[in-house]
Parts: sequence; C-alpha cells; structure tokens
Amino acid sequence: MHYVIIGGCAAGLNAIEGIRKIDQSGEITLISKEKYPPYARCLITNYLIGTHSEKSLYLRDNSFYKKNNVNLILEKEVKKILPDEKKVYLSDKEKISYDKILIATGSSPKKLGIKGEEKEGISVFRTIDDVKKILQRIEKSKKVLVFGGGLIGLKAGYSLKKKGLEVEIIIKSPQILSQVVDKKSAKILSNWLNENGIKIRTGLEPVEILGNKEMEEVLFDNGEKIKAQIGIVGKGVSPNLSVIENTDIKTHWGIIVDDYLRTSNDDIFSAGDVTETKDLITGNPTITALWLSAQEQGKTAGINMAGGKKKYPGSIGANAAEFFGLPFISFGKTRETENVEIKEICDEKNYIYKRFVLKNNILIGAVFIGDVKSAGLYMSLIRSKSNLENYKNILGKEWFNYGKVRELLEKDEGFRESISPEGNNIFFT
Amino acid sequence: MKRIFVDIEKCMACKTCEIVCAVKHSKSCNLFGAIKEKPNPSSRIKVIEAKVIPIPLQCRHCVEPLCEQACISGAIKIEEEFVSVDKEKCVHCYSCVMACPYGVIDIQKEENIAIKCDLCLDEEIPPCVKSCPTKSLFYGELKDFKKQREKREEKCTM
Repeated sequence: MHYVIIGGCAAGLNAIEGIRKIDQSGEITLISKEKYPPYARCLITNYLIGTHSEKSLYLRDNSFYKKNNVNLILEKEVKKILPDEKKVYLSDKEKISYDKILIATGSSPKKLGIKGEEKEGISVFRTIDDVKKILQRIEKSKKVLVFGGGLIGLKAGYSLKKKGLEVEIIIKSPQILSQVVDKKSAKILSNWLNENGIKIRTGLEPVEILGNKEMEEVLFDNGEKIKAQIGIVGKGVSPNLSVIENTDIKTHWGIIVDDYLRTSNDDIFSAGDVTETKDLITGNPTITALWLSAQEQGKTAGINMAGGKKKYPGSIGANAAEFFGLPFISFGKTRETENVEIKEICDEKNYIYKRFVLKNNILIGAVFIGDVKSAGLYMSLIRSKSNLENYKNILGKEWFNYGKVRELLEKDEGFRESISPEGNNIFFT
Repeated sequence: MKRIFVDIEKCMACKTCEIVCAVKHSKSCNLFGAIKEKPNPSSRIKVIEAKVIPIPLQCRHCVEPLCEQACISGAIKIEEEFVSVDKEKCVHCYSCVMACPYGVIDIQKEENIAIKCDLCLDEEIPPCVKSCPTKSLFYGELKDFKKQREKREEKCTM
C-alpha cells in the first residue's frame, strides 16, 4: 500500500500519525512545496519576534520521519492528480503512483487586488519565507500598516510592535476580528491593543500603494495618504485547489468530503484548509481554515485512508491568542444575535469579559477575554450539544466546573470515545 | 499503562492532594519552603465541587487528547497513553486551555508555560495518590482498579 500526502503542514503531518495507528508497514510519501519539513505555522510570529529559531518551529525532528518510514519530498509541487492512472505529476515532471492519496494543500493568503501591490515591502504573513522577507526590511523601516483585522493581521501587527515598529491596523469593517467575535468583545480587545500602542483604524480601505520600486506611501479611499515602509496583507485565505483541476473531484468552496473525509473519489481524501466540511453547530458547509481543524481532520483522514472507520464530527471555529499578556479565546457562533440568549460577565476596566451565546438552551458560542480558565469545558459543551437550561445562569462563574455537567458530557459518544481506552469513564461511583 | 483513577464516592475534599502536588512541583520540594516561594507553586490537581460530591480532578490523559490536537507548537504529545507538555516548545498560546474538556490545563503566568498533571513519573506512586487519606485516588492499571472496587463491594454486601 502506498499512501501519498500532498502538503506538509498540520493536516499532512497528522495524517502520517493517523495512518500509522492502523497500518505500520505501508509506504508513506509526503510531498511539500516548501523547503522546510512540517513546521508550526502559527509560530512564525515568534520567529519574527526572535524568541524562536527556524529549526525550533519544526513540529517533529528527523527521527520521527525515519521511525515512521516516511519518504519526505520537499520543495516540489504536485502539479496534477491523475485519478484514472492513480498517479501524481510533480513540478519536475516526475510521476509518483499511489494507492490512497490525501490532499492537504492548504490555502493561500488573499491579495489586496490594488495597484502597486507588487512593490517591495508588501507581504503576506503565512510562511517562514514571508517572515524572512519582512525581517530583511525591518531595519530600514519605521512604520507598518496591517491591512485586515483578522487574527493573522493582529498577530503580525503584535509581533512587529514587539520589534519596535510603529503599527497601524487598517480595517474595512467597523470592528477587528469581524469573522470571529461580536462587537463588544472586539471593542474590549481593540481598547487593549490601543493602550499597548497599536493604532486601529476602521472603515478604511487602501486603493493604491505608492512609491518607486519600494513601498513608500499608501493612498486610501478617503483620499488620505499614510507613509509606511512595510505593509502586511491579512485579508483571509482561499483554498489551494489547483491540483484537482481537470479531475472530477467535487468542489464547492473547497473540496467536498463525506463524514470520513473521503472525496467523491474513493481513493482520494482531503483534510485541512482546502477541505470543506460540515459546521459542527449548524451542519452547514464550512471551511474553518484553523490549526485545530486541520490537525483533527488530518488524523481522521489518515485513519480512514488506512482502512479505519473514524467519523469526523464537524468543524468548530476556535481561536486562542495572547496579546501583551492578555489571553483571548473564542469559539463557535459568537456573533449571532437572532433567537439567541446572551449571558455575560463583564469587567471592562480590567479587560475581563466572558460571553456565552445560547440557542434553545444549547451553547453555540463563547468568548473569553482576560480570564480564560476552563474555556475548553465550554467547547465540549458546544460539541456535545448539551441542554444547559439548569446551568445557564452560572456559566463562566468560578464555581462552574466539569463536575457540574459531567453527566451531560458523558452522554456524548464522541466525548466518551476520546477520553478513555475502554470508552468508559475513568471515574467510578 | 498505569493511570490515576478516582473513586469519587470516597473523596472528602480534604485537599491533601492539592497541597502535596503543589509541594512536589515547587522549587524547594518541602512544605515550608513551598509556601514562601514566589510565585506560589501551583497544584495540578484540584478538588472541584460537583453537584453534591467533591471530585479530585487532574489531567485524565485522554486517549485522543484535544489539547494535543489544538497545540500549535507541537509541545503537547501523547505517547503510550501519557500526555506530556514539552517546556521548551510551549509558547503559552492558550490553545490547550481552549480545548481541554476538563478545564485542567492552566498557563502559569510567571513562567509562561502550560501546566497540568505530569503523573510525577520520577516517583513510584504519584504523591497525590500516596497521600490520599481516604484512598479516593488510585494509581495502576484499569483492571487492578476494577479488582479493588469489586473487593470493596463484596465487603459492603457481606
């Protein structure tokens, strides 16, 4: 059996582990277009700040690939999949045949789509190489403009501020993290970032990058010009679908898969940012493009490729970050306002805010700022779709804990499966 | 693989386990030293108040740990049913806190690291288990724990 994995990041790496859970002898080949082995993409901020070296971002050391008998092919891109021949075509015209294949090609940052974007100084923020490019410019730069107020934009802005640069975040929408949190949470986080020296401007859009070869100034839609030497584009990502062009694999926003992460072709699986899965809460199609989803999907797909039968429960949008010492966690549907009940604990002065969104007594979203203790408990309440009618008034309180909702959680099959080897609880009464 | 099991009928919430755990994870490793340390050494086990009974709760070392799946730096690993945090790799990003269904992972602010039960592998029996006066905590294989439970039930029905 020859397993081929296209893409060397979270999903691809976890697929190796998934496959090896079931099949210890089959051949595994992982092909990545980057020159580095799978690394912690989210830690490029730390690499930029300087707390981490390039090597320390690698998720596994060489012995892992050796031990698991993985043939690692780096710096080569898969151009095409030929499902009829069961082969992939590489950029150097080499052909590799497969029995089962995983598409984990990830996603690419969206562009601004404005004049002058190709100028030196404008960069996206996704790979080690992006950071290397930014680091080269840091010395001759004073000011950074970040386009986009998503988590990537905020993290890029945060790390450049830590590097001593002046940072201004430019957002088209009226709030930061508009895809992730509600207005109130966004306001509290904005205030905190402001207080720590990051300027945030909303309702503003760049129309042209000015300068000769290098970026010097940015022209905005209100006619304003701002001088800056570095521009970071954080406008979201789109799935890398080019490998399956000319195949009949079904796509919508991303590659469509069943509950076992199998595509419309029986031998082809898909995981990570390129995959369109079911939203765990609504059941609607979604691409979360998040680390947690990619890892879970990768592992699940790996197990199923090797003949196991593991169901993927669906994706949940979940983010965790820390800015200037203030922790922040959010997951699920935090922005919903219709037919929902909101429970909150708020101490705005001290930057503490907890928000719980319930629909028909079922938790569908939560935000934690400042005090994030036991946040995961609430995530499992969302996952298990527990009825919280009797508990909704104590959500977020210090004395609300696992013990209070143990029975509710243990009813959930997925929860039971994940905790103990025998599928039963580790507690005995 | 040995695990820590909890017989929740027996816990009296004396919190001895919390104290010995904090002492074990302190720099001085003794009670008098530990209480003077700054930052205060923290316990990896917490006696939580469930509905009516207390439960001593620490990392359950899940077979499919969500914390490991959420970890963005590769610091959390599971090997042979033991979930560990690599201090060198942890970047205190709070992803594990976001994912742990039991709420038993914390970030220690002073040291900026994720802390949770490490099973005190350098000890034959973890101090929390050893010191538990009511034997609510048990360290061993599942089958041994079941055996002990059966014995107790026999005694009760006699």
